[in-house]
Amino acid sequence: MSAILSIAKTTLGEAIRRRVLLVILLIGVLFLVIAPGLEALSPRQEATVLRALTLGVIQLTSAVIAIVLTVYLIPNEIERRTIYTILSKPVLRWQFLVGKYLGAVFALGLMMALMTATMLLVFAVMKGQTSVDQLGGLARVPVMFFVQMSLLAAVAVFFSTFVTPVVNFFLSGGVYLVGSVFNSLFEAFADPSRGDINPVARALATVVQVIVPNFQNFNVQNSAINPGQVIQGELSYTIGLIGYALFYIAILLIAGILIFDRREV
Amino acid sequence: MRVKPAPLLAAAAALFLGQATVQTTQVYPLWKKNYAPIQGDYTGLSPEHFLFALAGFRELIAGILWVRADAFFDEGNFDAILPIIWLVTRLDPHQIDVYATGMWHIAYNFTDEGSRSDRRYIPSATALGVEGTKNNEHTYELFFETGWLYYHKIEDAYPESVKWFTEATKRADMLPARRNILNNALQRNNEVEKASDYLFSLLDEAEKKLKESGEFQNRQNRDTIEQNYDNLLVRMAQRGYLAKKGGYYDTWQYDTKPPFDVGFSAQVTVLEPRKIQVVGTWNVLPVGTRVRIVLRDADYPRAIPAAMEWYQGDRINLDPPKDLTFMQDQLFVRNQRFNRTIDMSRDLTMYPFVSDRFVVEFYYNPRQAPAYIQDKFGWNGEGMTDANFLNTEVRPGQRVVYTKMEFSRDEILRRGEWADKAPVRQTSNYRGLAPSQLDREIIRVPGILAQPPAGQ
Amino acid sequence: MSLAIETRDLVKTYKTRSGQTHVVDRLNLRVEPGEIFGFLGPNGAGKTTTIKILLGIIYQTSGQAFVLGKEAGDIQVHRQISYLPEKPYYYEHMTGLEIMQFYASLFGIKDTEHCKRLLNRVNLGNDMNRPISQYSKGMQQRVGLAQSLLNDPQLLFLDEPTGGLDPIAHIEIRDLILQFRDEGKTVFISSHELSDVERICDRVAIINKGEVVAQGALETLLVGGRIEVTANGCPAELADRMRDGHNVVSLNQGRLIVDMPDDKNPNDVVTAVQSAGGEIVSVIPRRKRLEDLFLEAVSGDDKAKGRQTISMLGSGGNDAVANGQAAPAKTQDTKGDNP
Repeated sequence: MSAILSIAKTTLGEAIRRRVLLVILLIGVLFLVIAPGLEALSPRQEATVLRALTLGVIQLTSAVIAIVLTVYLIPNEIERRTIYTILSKPVLRWQFLVGKYLGAVFALGLMMALMTATMLLVFAVMKGQTSVDQLGGLARVPVMFFVQMSLLAAVAVFFSTFVTPVVNFFLSGGVYLVGSVFNSLFEAFADPSRGDINPVARALATVVQVIVPNFQNFNVQNSAINPGQVIQGELSYTIGLIGYALFYIAILLIAGILIFDRREV
Repeated sequence: MRVKPAPLLAAAAALFLGQATVQTTQVYPLWKKNYAPIQGDYTGLSPEHFLFALAGFRELIAGILWVRADAFFDEGNFDAILPIIWLVTRLDPHQIDVYATGMWHIAYNFTDEGSRSDRRYIPSATALGVEGTKNNEHTYELFFETGWLYYHKIEDAYPESVKWFTEATKRADMLPARRNILNNALQRNNEVEKASDYLFSLLDEAEKKLKESGEFQNRQNRDTIEQNYDNLLVRMAQRGYLAKKGGYYDTWQYDTKPPFDVGFSAQVTVLEPRKIQVVGTWNVLPVGTRVRIVLRDADYPRAIPAAMEWYQGDRINLDPPKDLTFMQDQLFVRNQRFNRTIDMSRDLTMYPFVSDRFVVEFYYNPRQAPAYIQDKFGWNGEGMTDANFLNTEVRPGQRVVYTKMEFSRDEILRRGEWADKAPVRQTSNYRGLAPSQLDREIIRVPGILAQPPAGQ
Repeated sequence: MSLAIETRDLVKTYKTRSGQTHVVDRLNLRVEPGEIFGFLGPNGAGKTTTIKILLGIIYQTSGQAFVLGKEAGDIQVHRQISYLPEKPYYYEHMTGLEIMQFYASLFGIKDTEHCKRLLNRVNLGNDMNRPISQYSKGMQQRVGLAQSLLNDPQLLFLDEPTGGLDPIAHIEIRDLILQFRDEGKTVFISSHELSDVERICDRVAIINKGEVVAQGALETLLVGGRIEVTANGCPAELADRMRDGHNVVSLNQGRLIVDMPDDKNPNDVVTAVQSAGGEIVSVIPRRKRLEDLFLEAVSGDDKAKGRQTISMLGSGGNDAVANGQAAPAKTQDTKGDNP
């Protein structure tokens, strides 16, 4: 366990010094800070649009960071041969992989926490929103984004055990896209009132629905952007969602371990 | 040293079943309830917007588009706004402002040179409002906005405004001050006792609240309701409502009896192609009467007398039928006559006049009248009559003034035999205007002048 | 006590587009405990591949590999071995001490003093708090050595430990390696820096194209030196006569250099020179060097295989003859076949 944590810590230390990530992060933070400049709208519209924009910026930036950060995790270690020094120590490959993944998640969490803090600061200072309710409602969203991005990072780590970073970038991005849209597609397919859908296609859609990691589930920003909505079973949804993410992350890591364990590095 | 695959594969399989179970039994159903976007085609989005929207950034794109729409508002480029409104509501069906602004914009902002709204758009506005309420049942706002659209823009569809305002008042977040509007809608819908009951319950509530906290706002709110309630009670007495209920209406004098003859007559002249002059009489001295005039295709789809079915289903069609004509305006009565020239020649897209036959309709419904006129006419026109045009059929159960005249396309466009001969239609009782009715600028208000004008 | 390293018919094959490439071909190695073992060969000979197999980083296609008596890759064995890769990269944002602490933690060692001691031992005591990115190549290599000592290993794998270092750094590293032997550690050095290896190794194995072409104790392998006869004013036909397959002969403007095995009589050459009117400049007996052994081994292999030599040493064994013969098994037969 200490080996995993050490590797995670080192990965974190390296990730927060990677220039490309810092540049992406900086752009994200910059966007958050200038977003309130949209003074043209009426007060309430402005608040709605501002919430939509800032949360969107956080999500988008986090997704890019999650992918860019993780696609290079394993390949960089191999290219720089650091992996040989580590694997010649009493460290098993699965420990290495899990350590790298955890490090990436830590780094992601740190960067997302920074963006979230910036957002809250912007809303508190520039928009005078200081109530715990308002800010808490806003802050909950990036927490779910973090779970979402952890899942995305697991997808990228899984792919990084057998494809090159560039291919991985597009693969993971593609999975994110498919996983972000599939619920909606599935909804159309699974609608029993629609008689024009072939039962085979519907069954197939159900199969894909349970196979594709579902990123759309985590997009809970709408109730924060447009407050006052009645969200049914929010707590059990959140718990279910986190459970879902953990299950999926574990599956991806196990698959990654099985491949990585047999891989020649 | 490699791991043993078998136990890991078994674990993965178990986890897979776990995630599938959680996803299908717990997460997906709640997602569908709470977060599912509206089904629909997003073809209006640019490819990169589309991609981003797919990637879970729907609200972000909606926000960006809405900022864009705002710029178009500033420029007055209204045509550009409609598709944006439509897209934004698809991307984020919970952005209340977009619905509210959108329906207001569709209903009010598309006007001709004479500031007449394009009524062909109204069904889209109501559809947008109804859709907004379906997607945002948690808040009163869109129920209120939809009710307001019926109450203020459409008028004459008061059952609808009562229905939507009632829904709005059921929502906990309805502002106290706005609750009063249901009272007005109920009165206009001739549900006077309901209005009284409603105000009474509001008053009750407001007093309770005032007892809880004596802050200014609570006091002011209670006072407003009390005043409204007083007004209503006075009117119920004055207009003979209570007397009718009590069965002694015939015994005493009330403002609403005997019914007053408004003496409607009108003449329509096609002055130039697409330009008509409407003159006529209306025997009501106080200023404030507006007689509705409609000029539309005789076969306008889903038209009803002097109106159309304003709600035509949930389909939001932002591209209204380009070959249909529906002009609606108001004839403002001064000095017991009206005289108005309506020029439709500068807005060919709004008034294409492609049909063969057209009707001009005149319509007056006392339910829309201001309170001081209603004091004479009653809530439902009990105190109003017209020797020629009183109608109780075009609006079942309501006493309205209604008549219509037909024109051919050639007449409106002054073609063929009408090229140098102005077509004229008039009601059989039209006698022209008295000389006293011809000075246009002086409005004679009874009782205000110190000396009665010479000759009276 | 079992062998420190043993491989039996170790084969590593990579599939390429044109078929299969044997990177390691029926490799048999035996490394005794406590010795410094040189693992030599030109670039691409399969040295690093072999080390990676022994460390369990990659897996053999067939054959067996044992490290400290257990199968290669055994995680318990990793507690007793260490590895210094060729041109290692360390996380550059970390300081020397942090790197040491990181690697120590992989063993579960939390003793910071231990890390500092080791850094002092490799003369980095004053620089341990500077980030690695500011270290020179030699300093980085010394950090590598220090980290490889963290677990007090019984067996060290050093891959090109002196590669690209300046002479002073060479000497420092060499001295450290000799200290390891004194401490009873087994050191497995892969290198093509023959002079370093010759000075410190007890035994060597030379591999080429994945096969061992020579293996044994240095004193055994280096038996049989050379004698160099230099003469002036020699005709070309004399030089031709000298070329008999064992001698290395060069002639430049009448200056003849004959490099011959020491089991031949130099008098024959001297006589021949004198009778051809040449003038002897020097007769120098030279002890056999690792370089010679290497050249012999590599060139012999090439002749047998009928390949063009692509050696980093360039000069030797380039009289390739294409004879199309199948390669004989070359694994153990060179060991000790020098008289």
